[in-house]
Amino acid sequence: MELDYDLAFYVEMFARTFSFWWVILPAIFLGLIVGAIPGFSAANTIIILLPLTLAMDPETGLTFMVALYASSRMGAGIPAILVNIPGTAGAAATPLDGYPMTKQGRGQQALAMSFVASIAGGLLTTVVALISLPWLAQIAFYLHSVEMIVIMFFGISLIATIAAKDTLKGLIAGFFGLMIGFIGTDVVYETPRGTFGFLELYDKVPLIPALVGLFAISEAFAIIENQSILTERGKAAMGKPGWAATFEGARIAASKWWHITWNSIIGLVIGVVPGAGAAIASFVAYQQSKTYSKTPELYGTGHVEGLIAPESANNGVTSGTLVPLLVIGIPGGATAAIMLVVLQFHGVTVGPDLFLTSPELAFGPFTAMAVTYAIMVFSVLPLARYMSNITVVSTIYMAPIIISFTLVGSFVPRAYLFDMNLALVFGVIGYVARKTGYHVAAILIGVILGPLMETYFLRAMKMSQGDIMVIFSSSIGNTLWVLLVISMALPYFMDYRRNKAALNDPYG
Amino acid sequence: MAENAEAQGSEKVSIGSELIIPVAAFFFTIYYFITIWNAPWTAQVAAFIVGSILLFLVVLIVIKSVRSLSSGEGELNFNNLVNPKSFIPKRLGLLALTIGYIFIVPSLGFTITTFLFLSMAMLVLSDFRKKRLIFALAATLSLGGYLLFIVAFKTRFPAGPFETFMKGFF
Repeated sequence: MELDYDLAFYVEMFARTFSFWWVILPAIFLGLIVGAIPGFSAANTIIILLPLTLAMDPETGLTFMVALYASSRMGAGIPAILVNIPGTAGAAATPLDGYPMTKQGRGQQALAMSFVASIAGGLLTTVVALISLPWLAQIAFYLHSVEMIVIMFFGISLIATIAAKDTLKGLIAGFFGLMIGFIGTDVVYETPRGTFGFLELYDKVPLIPALVGLFAISEAFAIIENQSILTERGKAAMGKPGWAATFEGARIAASKWWHITWNSIIGLVIGVVPGAGAAIASFVAYQQSKTYSKTPELYGTGHVEGLIAPESANNGVTSGTLVPLLVIGIPGGATAAIMLVVLQFHGVTVGPDLFLTSPELAFGPFTAMAVTYAIMVFSVLPLARYMSNITVVSTIYMAPIIISFTLVGSFVPRAYLFDMNLALVFGVIGYVARKTGYHVAAILIGVILGPLMETYFLRAMKMSQGDIMVIFSSSIGNTLWVLLVISMALPYFMDYRRNKAALNDPYG
Repeated sequence: MAENAEAQGSEKVSIGSELIIPVAAFFFTIYYFITIWNAPWTAQVAAFIVGSILLFLVVLIVIKSVRSLSSGEGELNFNNLVNPKSFIPKRLGLLALTIGYIFIVPSLGFTITTFLFLSMAMLVLSDFRKKRLIFALAATLSLGGYLLFIVAFKTRFPAGPFETFMKGFF
C-alpha cells in the first residue's frame, strides 16, 4: 500500500479534529466515569449510546467513540490507584505500585503520575501509529495460533515473577486462573466442561464478575480491618491537598520520559495483535520494567516506575487496536469492533482503500485520539487534587459502597443474577488469596488468558491433526519460547549478579 | 492490611490457610478432568497440559508445607485468614448482608435494596453509631445511583417497586 501524505495534510487533519472539541470534551468526562466503574467498559457505553453515534455523521461519531475509548482507559486507573480496584482488566497491573503509593498518602501524586504517563504514552503512540500505519499492520499477519500460545505462556510466566512474592504461589494462582478460564463449552465441539451444571457458565466465565469479585469484594472485606485506606504514615504524609503534589507527580513522571516512551511502544505493538489487549500489555510492560530496573526490589512498594509502566502501556494499546481495524479490517478489540459496526452502518468499508477514498475517516481516529490526549492535559490532570480526597473517607462507609455498586455492576453486562453470585464466589477466592499471598492479579490474568489460550490450542491441534509438537513448529514461536525461558531466568540471574556484587563490595 | 501483615510476620507460617487455594485448585482440576474425560483429544489437550502443570505445582507446595511443618517454621492453623480475630463478627455480618443483598435485589430492585444494604452495613461496621449521617448517606447514594445509572445511563440494573413507580416520571 503506497501512502504519500505531506506535512500540510497532517496539519489540516489535526486542525479539522480540533474543531470537534465540543464532542471530545463530554466524551472525555463520560469515558473517565465509565472507565472508573468496574462493570462499565467503553465498549458497553458505546453500545448503550449507539442510537446517538449512529445519528451523527461518521466522522463525528468516530471522534466521539475514540475520545470516550481513550479517556475510559485512563479512567480505569483511577480506582486502581485510590482503592485498589481496577476499573477494567487493562488496569489490573496499576494497583501493584499505585495503591501502595496511596496508602503512603501519595494518592494525588500517583494520580498525577498516572495521568501524565497515560497522556504522554497515548499521545506518543498515536503519533507513531499515524506515521507507521502500514508497517504496524503487518505484525498481525506473522502471529498465528502457535505464536499466540507462546505469548499466552509468557503472560503466565509474568505472573510468577510479578504478582506474588513467592514464585510458586504466583504460578499456582496463575494456572488456577487458567483452569477457571477453561470453564465453558469448547469452541469446536461445544462440549460443556467444568461448569458444575450451570447453564450461565456455558459461555465461559464472564470477566466482569471475576474482576469485581477478585478485586472489589475481596478488597472491601480486607479494608474494614483498618479505619482508613491510608497507613498511619500515609495519613501524616498526606497533609492538606494542594496543587504541589500534582505538579510534583507530573514532574516525576516527566523525568521518566524514556520509561514512558519504551512502555507505550510495547503497548502499541501488543495492541496491534488482535485479541491481545491492554491486560497483557500492562503486565508485559510491568515485568520488563522490573527486570531491567536498577531497583527491582522496590516494585510492589509504591515505586514510580511500577506505576508508570502499566499506565503508559495500556494507553499505548488504545491506538494499537485501531491499526488492524483501519488497515486490514480486523478489529483489535471489543471497542474497535463496535467502531467497525458503526462505520459499516454508514456504508464505510474499512481496509486499504479507505486511505485513498476517505483519508479523513482513515486517519481521523488517530488524530482524534491525539487531540483527546492533548485536551486531557488541561481537563483531567487538575482533577487529581480532588479525586485523591476519596482516600480519607472512612472504610466504614467505603466498604459497603464498594460492595453494593460493584456487585450490581457485575449484573450489568449480561443481566444475569447468577453473575452477582459468581462475583461473591470470586470475592471469597480473592479474600483467601489476598490473606495468604496468592496475588489476585495472578488469578485474574489466568482467567483472562484461559479462553484465549484454549482457542489457540484448539486451532493449532486441528491444523496439525492432533500433533502436540506443533507448538514447537514455527521459527517465530521457537524464538519466543527461548525468550520466555530467558525472561523466567533473567530475574534470578540479575539477583545473583546483584548479590555477588554486594558480597564483593568492600564498603557494602 | 500492611500493618496486619507486618504483625503477622513475626508469627509462624499458617500452613492451613496457605493450602486453601492449592487444595481448591487440586479438586477443581480433578473435577475438570472428569468432565472432559470422554471429550475429543483436541478439546482435552489444553486443559490436560495446564491442569497437569497445576497439579505438579500443588504437589510442590504441599511438599514445601510439610517441610515447613517438620522444621517448625509453620503451624497447621488458619491464623492468616481469621486475624485480626476482633473483626470476625463484623466480617461475618458484612458477608451475611452481602448474601442478603444478592437475594433481595431481584424483588426489591436496585434503589431500595442498595439503601437497605448501605444503611445496615454501615451501621454494623460503625457499631451502630452516627445513625442520622448513615441513613442520609445511604439515601443520597442509592438515589444518586438510581439517577446516574438507571435514569441517565439507562443501565440494566435490577428493577423493583421504586423503579417501576418512577418510570412514570422519567
